[in-house]
Amino acid sequence: MPDGPDPIPAGPPIPAGPQRTAAQHGHGRALDALLAHVARGDERAFDAVYQQTAGQVLGIARRVLRDPAQSEEVMQEVLLDVWRTAARFDPELGSATAWVMTLAHRRAVDRVRSEQKSAQRELRFASAEIAYDEVTEAAEANLDRERVRRCLTSLTDLQRESVTLAYYGGYTYREVAELLGIAVGTVKTRMRDGLIRLRDCLGVD
Amino acid sequence: MEPGETDLHTLAGAYAMDAVADPDRAAFEQHLAGCGPCREEIRGLREATARLATAAQLRPRPELRTATLRAAALIRQLPPVVRADPAAMAGRAATAGPAVMAGPAVMAGPAVMAGRAATAGPADTAGRAATAGPADTAGRAATAGPADTAGAAGGPGTGSAAARPAASAGRTARGRLRGPLPRLALAAAGVLAVLVIVFAAMMHGTVRQLDQAQRRTHAIAAVLNATDVTMLTAKVSTGGSATVLMSHRQHALVFTAEGLRAPPAGRHYELWLKGPAGARPAGSLPAARAGMIGPMVVAGLASGDSIELAVEPAGPPRPTAPMIMLLGLGSR
Repeated sequence: MPDGPDPIPAGPPIPAGPQRTAAQHGHGRALDALLAHVARGDERAFDAVYQQTAGQVLGIARRVLRDPAQSEEVMQEVLLDVWRTAARFDPELGSATAWVMTLAHRRAVDRVRSEQKSAQRELRFASAEIAYDEVTEAAEANLDRERVRRCLTSLTDLQRESVTLAYYGGYTYREVAELLGIAVGTVKTRMRDGLIRLRDCLGVD
Repeated sequence: MEPGETDLHTLAGAYAMDAVADPDRAAFEQHLAGCGPCREEIRGLREATARLATAAQLRPRPELRTATLRAAALIRQLPPVVRADPAAMAGRAATAGPAVMAGPAVMAGPAVMAGRAATAGPADTAGRAATAGPADTAGRAATAGPADTAGAAGGPGTGSAAARPAASAGRTARGRLRGPLPRLALAAAGVLAVLVIVFAAMMHGTVRQLDQAQRRTHAIAAVLNATDVTMLTAKVSTGGSATVLMSHRQHALVFTAEGLRAPPAGRHYELWLKGPAGARPAGSLPAARAGMIGPMVVAGLASGDSIELAVEPAGPPRPTAPMIMLLGLGSR
């Protein structure tokens, strides 16, 4: 335990769930600071990191994998990766949230692809429309979700389909090209342009 | 595909969303290593994709929190990457290379992380080849792939050593491990995480089970923390796969299997160590739980052993049943 001021909130643990989400981005730096404590083996800080990120990690794993049990496994693996490698997090390379979500998405996608390799599974059919609707459908009032939804509508149809199929569907850009019946080069540029527009709309950088 | 510069650069969006399969990914990461603005773009795009994840948020079952926290308490953390003295370029190559790669949780893949070594240098402004000062060029040598080494002061030797730690890890991989090392590291971390979760779950048992679990946890930790720990995987010919984490120094291995068929009635899976030291039964596999068998700790590993799996009838183990899996474990 460090002797200095401790940024971990005392008192009862913050409940995981959407009621806390709106405040979350204001706490982006807090997550950075928590990771520094986690890197020094602080289990209480890790608990706080868990509570801030587990819901999002599970959410993206579930979106990509669909299977609830596998998604939970991935969620735990990702959080344990965060514990193990917290000392390797570098704030110069991006926010702590982006670091954790990149780990989560990468791991979910890796799992899908290794399954596909071993089982030669058929491409799941998922229209871009479905992937997009899920963002709106996901129930609980959530400012982040609302904002992301709004920004997604500012994309062209092709940009939006490319981005959601890749990110939420876990497809490679070549698979997306196949699904949408358009040229590979077109998909690449739509993905990049779409993400840039999304980034600017969300005001993140 | 024509891997021209422009063509490569448009991959930034797909790359930021992990929508790039292996060969393309490697090519793009090579490109990234030598392109500061590209790394900056990826950084920004990943802030955006993180919001896509946030929007997908769900509420995890409460028990997962306890299990994860318990598991974490059993896992040793990786040390930070120590930044070398900027004057010592050779030292920089060392920190930017395998030390970083050893972390499975490397955020942006090897090239981006290695790129940090270059951008951390005082002489690096934009990270572009055209504007790079000597310090930057040397730093680049540490991070760049073969395509970028032409103009690099360190020469191809330095470049490929740092950019492809998989090559230097060939000793542990022994050619049985397919795919690049970062994937392997991820897989190994996955196995480790699963092992640890299994043990965390076992901690809920009786005191006696707790003792057993602690002993086994200790034995497993000894293998996992050994400096020569090596992961091997093999397909089981009747279906499923096996993963072995072994340490010749600890004379022990940890065996897990996944997706094995239930053995025919009256038979069971038997594990063997065979080698110059003779054939030794290494235990019967327990029944699968949620599709997963093990982890089993097997002690007494000797140089030149292979590990084999057979389906055997009840009775004392006999090394004559046909093998359904064989994995050479090499020598110390």
